[in-house]
Amino acid sequence: MANCTEYDLRKWHLASIRLLLLVLLALLTLVLPRCGKGKKAGTDEIRVGVVLPISGREAKPGQYQREGIELAIHQINQSGGILVKERGKKLSVKEVFYDDGSDQAKSAGLVERAITSDNVVAVLGGYSTALGEAESVMPDRYQTPWITTGAAATTIFSRGYQYIFGTLSPTDLLGYTTAEFLGSLVDHKKLHKGLKLALALENTDHGLDYGKGIDKWIQEHPNYFSVVFSEKFELGSTDFSGLLQKVKNTRADIFLADAHLQDYITMHRQYIQTGMYHQMISYGARGPEADARKALGDATNYIFAGIWWSAKLPYPQVNKFVADYQAFTGHPPDSWYPATAYDAMRALAAAIEQAGSLNKNAIRDQLRNVELKDSLLPGQVLRFGKNGQINATFVIVQNKPDTKVDIVYPPDAATGEAIAPKPR
Amino acid sequence: MSAVDLLNLVIAALLLAGVYAAMSVGMTIVYGVMKIVNLAHAGFLMLGAYFVYELYARFSIDPLLGVLLAFPVFFFIGLGVHWILIRRIPSSDQPTLTSLLLLFGLWLVLQNLGYLIWGNADRAILTRRTLYVLQIGPISFPAVRLIVFGAAVASIGGLELVLHKTWFGRAVRALMQNSDAGRIVGVNVEKTARIAFGMGIAFAGAAGGLLAMLYSFSPDFGGSFLLRAFVIIVLGGLESFAGVAIGALILALAETFSILVLPASYQPAIAFSLLVLALVVLPEGVAGLWNKRHRLA
Repeated sequence: MANCTEYDLRKWHLASIRLLLLVLLALLTLVLPRCGKGKKAGTDEIRVGVVLPISGREAKPGQYQREGIELAIHQINQSGGILVKERGKKLSVKEVFYDDGSDQAKSAGLVERAITSDNVVAVLGGYSTALGEAESVMPDRYQTPWITTGAAATTIFSRGYQYIFGTLSPTDLLGYTTAEFLGSLVDHKKLHKGLKLALALENTDHGLDYGKGIDKWIQEHPNYFSVVFSEKFELGSTDFSGLLQKVKNTRADIFLADAHLQDYITMHRQYIQTGMYHQMISYGARGPEADARKALGDATNYIFAGIWWSAKLPYPQVNKFVADYQAFTGHPPDSWYPATAYDAMRALAAAIEQAGSLNKNAIRDQLRNVELKDSLLPGQVLRFGKNGQINATFVIVQNKPDTKVDIVYPPDAATGEAIAPKPR
Repeated sequence: MSAVDLLNLVIAALLLAGVYAAMSVGMTIVYGVMKIVNLAHAGFLMLGAYFVYELYARFSIDPLLGVLLAFPVFFFIGLGVHWILIRRIPSSDQPTLTSLLLLFGLWLVLQNLGYLIWGNADRAILTRRTLYVLQIGPISFPAVRLIVFGAAVASIGGLELVLHKTWFGRAVRALMQNSDAGRIVGVNVEKTARIAFGMGIAFAGAAGGLLAMLYSFSPDFGGSFLLRAFVIIVLGGLESFAGVAIGALILALAETFSILVLPASYQPAIAFSLLVLALVVLPEGVAGLWNKRHRLA
């Protein structure tokens, strides 16, 4: 009987200890998040979410965009931060970074996480159209401004969202400017009128928009060119021989593709290996990347590309940015990637300062009015349109021998003359 | 389309079949002997690509020699992976969920190891051969694809020779047909499986090196080849090396020629469709059909 009582007592003790532990655990669960939130919601910093791919297939451009944003944040913080009138002082900017691994679902989830858990006032990111599209559904849901630094498809900005902005001009303008550049070569008697175009477009909204832009220019300027072939291909294809054979069969004079970097390298290798020749070749926004030049060598010579920004733009702020970027990262900017991200962060900083508050709606309203007059982008003024997307012109660059790249269009920004037709 | 264009396309398909066969051989060995679908195959393709790249970039070792060196190096890596992980998987006559999960996890580990070591930059190997085209009359033969094709033929031929002329080969064939019966007649199952896994990884590493001569690559390289390798071994009959060659040829011809009548964006669907078709109509693959006819005759 005594043993039985002792056993019961021990059992009771154990039960009490378990209960106590449970209560403690429950208390900790309640208290700890509050402690975290108290810290998060600190008044001495402005938290900005950055969701970009620094792993996976879009890792490299994503990394460059991150560097652009971080350079802008570094410079803002060095100057004391952003003046927020409501708080009566300058607040430093704190980046909350997430790598989406080039995964669409993850990308959207991380934007949601940054908004709901990290107390950010806005989110930057969304490199590549596919990832940007995935992210674009979140900002309006949580009424938080989002600026995409690397997605340009018009579909993102045509859904009536109120909290989304973008520092890339629409891709149809890229196609339009590409055709306009070719048209200018006809006007300068470098190319003949009536040439046949073959289009190979990646099967994304980016590719579709690019094709639409070209079609639009051709319709507005009859007799310049005709499209004799237009077909879509899948991202990350391992073989383009069938597609290139179809292009070859059309006997087109100009070959225009819209491709991501890996596809550009694979396709152009096969293009050279099949001994094809066109008077002009472009891979859309790809062309001058250092990786492509390493992978293809002299075979990239005379390829032209329409890009959102070039380090050769003749603006003083561009020269300063290039020097600052080199000092900050240890390498020069490769293509346009860091510039649009850098300007996105600066535009956000300007909007916060104009709003004088960390209220997300006030920041959104000011993003609609913001005018960055020392923008790095062509035209030097960054202003978001009614749909949230900027509409700056593109620059056309052409690869020249010895890894030289020249801006060849528009004429007022040109650093060299376009070579057309491409030498055999 | 002219006859020359058609011939050029046939050659392009044949050379593509060489690429596909080269990348599938390793997976077939592992499946044949151990009934394991090696999802980490893509990871070893990626490591093979970087191995050859590093030898070329650091020591100016010709990529072809790099591919040859990859074979023994990856063989020992394969033995190590087998000793640490694979031997712990319970043996089975069918692929098990445990093996799938383990090897998928290993693939993720290898991928992230790649990011740690090499970062996320795209790499490519550019030699004088990369863009060289052998022109015989109007027919073009891209040199690198010819090399890959030759390597695939040599791999499959060499394996067939080993399988039919050596004791180890006979042991492998015995395990492929019936592991219990193999054990009864004295085959050392553990040792044969270990060597077969090592060989599978060696072929994967060497194939990665070959692919590096054709494509740019980053640590997530290999994923798109994994599905194709799987389609090829299913088409070929899962355990047959001659079947791999036939499976690779069918896939390459289907992908290359279907694009002439279908939009190029349907290319990935072709591999999926062939996989479904093979599983429904020809579950034992081309080799199974061949064996059945042979038995009936």
